[in-house]
Amino acid sequence: MVEINLNRRQFLKLSGATAATLAVVELGFNEKEVHAQTKELKIAKATVTPTICAFCGVGCGILVHTKDNTVVYTEGDPDSPVNEGTLCSKGTTIRQVFTSEKRLTKPLYRAPGSKKWEEKSWDWMYETIAKRTKETRDKTFIEKENGMFVNKTEAIASLGGAALDNEETYLLAKMMRGLGVVYLEHQARI
Amino acid sequence: MTNHWSDLQNTDCALIMGGNPAENHPISFRWLTKAKEKGGKIVSVDPRFTRTSSKADVYASLRSGTDIAFMGGMINYALENNLIHREYVAEYTNASFIVKKDFEFNDGLFSGYDEATRKYDKTKWAFETDEEGNPKKDKTLTHPRSVFQLMRKHFSRYDVDSVIAVTGTPKEDYLKVCETFCSTSKIGKSGTIMYAMGTTQHTVGTQNVRAFGIIQLLLGNIGLPGGGINAMRGESNVQGSTDFALLYHLLPGYVGTPTAIPEHATLEGYNTKETPSGGYWSNKPKFLVSMLKAWYGPNATKANEFGYQYLPKGNKNYSHINLFNAMYKGELEGAFLFGTNPVVGGPNAGKEKEALSNLKWMVAVDLWETETSAFWQEEAGSDPSKIDTEVFLLPAASSYEKEGSVSNSSRWMQYRWKAIDPKGESLADLEIIHMLVKNLKGLYKNESSAAAKPINALYWNFGEGHHPDIDLVAREINGYDLSTGKLLKGFGDLKDDGTTSSGNWIYSGFYPEEGKNRSKNRDNKDTGGGNFLNWAYAWPANRRILYNRASADPSGKPWSDKKAVIWWDESQKKWTGNDIPDFKPTVAPADPGGTNPFIMINGGVAGVYAPTLNDGPFPEHYEPFESPVKNSFSSQEINPAVVIIEGEFNLKGDSKKYPIVGTTYRVSEHWQSGSMTRNQEWLSELAGHMYIEMSEELAKEKGIKNKDKIIVSSARGDIKAYAMVTKRFKPHMMNGKKVHQVGMPWHFGYKGYATGDTANRLTPHIGDANTTIPEYKAFLCDIRRAD
Amino acid sequence: MAEYIKYVDVTKCDGCRACMVACKNWNDLPAEPEEFQGSVQSHANVTANTWNVLSFIEHEDSKGNLDYLFRHSSCFHCSDAACVKVCPEDAMHYTDFGTVDVNSDKCVGCGYCVQNCPFDVVQLATYKDKNGKEYKKAQKCTMCVDRLEEGMQPACVTTCHTDAMEFGTQEEMLKKAEKRLSEIKDKYPNAMIYNPEGVGGTHTIYVLAEKPSVYGLPEKPKVPTSAVVWKDYAQPIGKMMLGATSMALVGAFVSNKLFNKEGKGHEEDGGGSHE
Repeated sequence: MVEINLNRRQFLKLSGATAATLAVVELGFNEKEVHAQTKELKIAKATVTPTICAFCGVGCGILVHTKDNTVVYTEGDPDSPVNEGTLCSKGTTIRQVFTSEKRLTKPLYRAPGSKKWEEKSWDWMYETIAKRTKETRDKTFIEKENGMFVNKTEAIASLGGAALDNEETYLLAKMMRGLGVVYLEHQARI
Repeated sequence: MTNHWSDLQNTDCALIMGGNPAENHPISFRWLTKAKEKGGKIVSVDPRFTRTSSKADVYASLRSGTDIAFMGGMINYALENNLIHREYVAEYTNASFIVKKDFEFNDGLFSGYDEATRKYDKTKWAFETDEEGNPKKDKTLTHPRSVFQLMRKHFSRYDVDSVIAVTGTPKEDYLKVCETFCSTSKIGKSGTIMYAMGTTQHTVGTQNVRAFGIIQLLLGNIGLPGGGINAMRGESNVQGSTDFALLYHLLPGYVGTPTAIPEHATLEGYNTKETPSGGYWSNKPKFLVSMLKAWYGPNATKANEFGYQYLPKGNKNYSHINLFNAMYKGELEGAFLFGTNPVVGGPNAGKEKEALSNLKWMVAVDLWETETSAFWQEEAGSDPSKIDTEVFLLPAASSYEKEGSVSNSSRWMQYRWKAIDPKGESLADLEIIHMLVKNLKGLYKNESSAAAKPINALYWNFGEGHHPDIDLVAREINGYDLSTGKLLKGFGDLKDDGTTSSGNWIYSGFYPEEGKNRSKNRDNKDTGGGNFLNWAYAWPANRRILYNRASADPSGKPWSDKKAVIWWDESQKKWTGNDIPDFKPTVAPADPGGTNPFIMINGGVAGVYAPTLNDGPFPEHYEPFESPVKNSFSSQEINPAVVIIEGEFNLKGDSKKYPIVGTTYRVSEHWQSGSMTRNQEWLSELAGHMYIEMSEELAKEKGIKNKDKIIVSSARGDIKAYAMVTKRFKPHMMNGKKVHQVGMPWHFGYKGYATGDTANRLTPHIGDANTTIPEYKAFLCDIRRAD
Repeated sequence: MAEYIKYVDVTKCDGCRACMVACKNWNDLPAEPEEFQGSVQSHANVTANTWNVLSFIEHEDSKGNLDYLFRHSSCFHCSDAACVKVCPEDAMHYTDFGTVDVNSDKCVGCGYCVQNCPFDVVQLATYKDKNGKEYKKAQKCTMCVDRLEEGMQPACVTTCHTDAMEFGTQEEMLKKAEKRLSEIKDKYPNAMIYNPEGVGGTHTIYVLAEKPSVYGLPEKPKVPTSAVVWKDYAQPIGKMMLGATSMALVGAFVSNKLFNKEGKGHEEDGGGSHE
């Protein structure tokens, strides 16, 4: 779980340098009155979780506000010494990575020659992919070349991974090399 | 990056070339703006006047693909005007080394070239050595075969007029750039170079970067705050995914993959061949053996060379371009794609799409249906009935629907916490990979075939459930002292006898003890110099400015108090300062090696001369694969060491038919192939149309008006787009010849909210001589009105 | 109480457009893609669902030096706001911060504010009620008044990475603007502070690098005379005469001409329009 405790009070304090000069006290606002006049602040009861932007390599800190199992707001993490609470257009919009209706929500399969996707279960996917991988691998596996162990298959490629977490890239490299994959490439090359 | 984002505020001059951070790394401008407020200058060199250029103090245009000419001229300018930090150059670089008589350079070719193989014999570029094998030196830098004198001679050909005749840069602008940036050679000043794919995506990409390295060393800018060479990474974790070696030629931590050469037949053979006698890489066997212990666990024993034989050993270049070439020829059966979209992002993307239909099966793991996973659809212009590829599309969780760390351009490993459950049935890639391995291991469990052995030996111990325990993965990366079972404190503790493990040595130390995953550190107090040592964790060893020993003079005193990073504290007998020393902290300046800041390099000094590269020890200008003009520096038209793929995958355009230079770039609102951003409505709204930018002059010549629909064609294909006629592109005049250039974003495809034609259907399938990174940034095309 | 303003220093802006999406993100506004504008600009102008637009201007000075100018454009929150003046329902009102906001409960969608805004920033958004019947409400930048009330800054300001936008007391922000102007005069001899008097000063003020017309802004905007006539004379008289509760009804009788856009032309002296 999150190892910081960004409660409301801290968050407000962090929300920008002039927040203090706009203090509720100075403005003479009665909190109850404010709420009577306007709808509740959209992030008032949201859970705040820090993350790092998924886009470029700057690595800006982002706060994700979640409520009722959706993302209600995303903004720069004022604690981050990389971006100090600011963000670019992509980072700001990261909320829609979750809310976009275009997100895939189910495993999809396309059979040879087919015109369409079919929904399948995860178990079916894992089993079938493992089977295909094994078939290809067994058929093309080269144990030795010129008398030395080479333990490879040149018939399976792995591409991509620049958006994965470190832990994931580590497991992916370990898996692919473990399978004997030599066509192992990702976005750093392109 | 040698330095880091917030350190940009310390610069006196940022030379931004081959990158456009205001648009593609916008938050960098938070720091550059601060630098400007302190009097720092920004220099922008770009074929197009970009938003970065608009914030610059000096702007100079150049024709795409002429960076070496441009930088070669700057190197010459610095040398001729003595705008160099001489002591730094003499002490901290190999400028003083004497090169053997075999080294020669004639008409664009270095000695040792074999035309048949398009390869150099690099032994011809070697240094003269003494009896102990150490290079001979002349610290006065006057020996005619010293690197310094050879460099001076090599770059003397890059006089201003010769340079601008190639780059097309107005002379006044060119001189202003040289003058402004070279002013950072003064002690007390520092300059940084910021670049991105505009530098690397050329057939001379590596040498483009080398040119940056040379000038930064001459100016004494490496190791200093506000200095360095800063590659701006384009993906949130392309730094990490490179560190963790999702590349054919690497194992985690930049240990080269063993290959099917006789010397690599055994672990001992590999170690003998690949371990240098000096520098930190002399510890390579410790890194490799510890990685093997992490990968094969108890199945890695001294008797079986710690599982070294299980590692696959290739026998050729398996890089992206060759991968797709092999796929096109039907040599591949299956492919796994993790969040990647080559049908938009690959070079000669139309052909890469065709290649996919030769696969028997494809597994695509993504948040979205992409142009790649949907390559078989009618919408993609395919006939599904004729495509037999089975496609498995697995829905992946987004970055904040799971937890894990990413490493930014600054090498800062920062943790991302989980904010919400994955959308729908999507799952974290960590779980998907884990389950694929578990299923495969299950299928092989009772087999003992040759193919079964390596997969059965692979140690996979991340918990019993469907979702692996990420903490166990993190610990495995950090590594253990296997005799005590305790987490390792750092890579200094690694051994080559099988008593330590570490999945990736450069990260060893990020998790030094129970409960202390330092990527989760969130103390944002400035610990000095803007280095924030308690925020996240920077590999290696939490160092924020690489080569920071070079910020001090040989005696250990900062060259200037204004640019101090670390210094030798005689009373404590150690290096101290605002950063973790990128140096052995107890080695005094007077000790052996005490003045060698470049600890990774054998000899401890930086290479202004690089006899290890495939295409020469000095950068030399060659024209791109497709160029509108002849190379005026030599009779070698293109980089003589690049591999040319023949045939329909790489058709070459003639400059008569395609007279215009084309280039590609990104916009703020879209990311890479656009699959992430074109599926978001607010970003699609901001940048919803594919366009081609061109000068008013070119538009007039072609009878094109702003907003017209036009067709751009290259030898590889045609695309349709809107014309964006702009003052920010101007034709280049070179040797009296007018050369036009156009540019276009490469984010578009037919899926998502914002759609448009794919620019990469125009780009060639040829790569750099060292890295095989494709030459996206300079190709030939023509344009016409669509109606 | 001190008044608060948003200060926009266009010379620091690098055109990233985070302010545009921060606004949509905070205010839950829908995307409304427009056709290709011939530049990277996304929308020709602000709309009822796009409350700020970043404009991109290629400008060559008299010596032929090229500059690429950017301006975050949104509601000016005039001190003497035409929209407030013409609103028959008092939906348009000044907040305690001095900014101008729309009370959607009161707005009847008559569009007088749209007609009379000297900066073209107010627009009508179309909604549907539960019976599918369309109705309209005036919409524009609220200066994130809900955030202000909680002691937070407007979303656009918070996200701005070059600090091209700041929010604070009028006094403090004007001081900053003056200081900035003196710093950039050498580079931008035409630079100025845009805080037009004709509308009583604004709560979004700019440091502009060039003349207002370069940015498509009126050089000397004024509250249209028609609006003054309406709010200060016609409306009170009308209310008295008819005892009407909804002045929108009265408004319907008022000649279109009075509120005609074209009529605004003579109120300005020169200046470009938004393109």
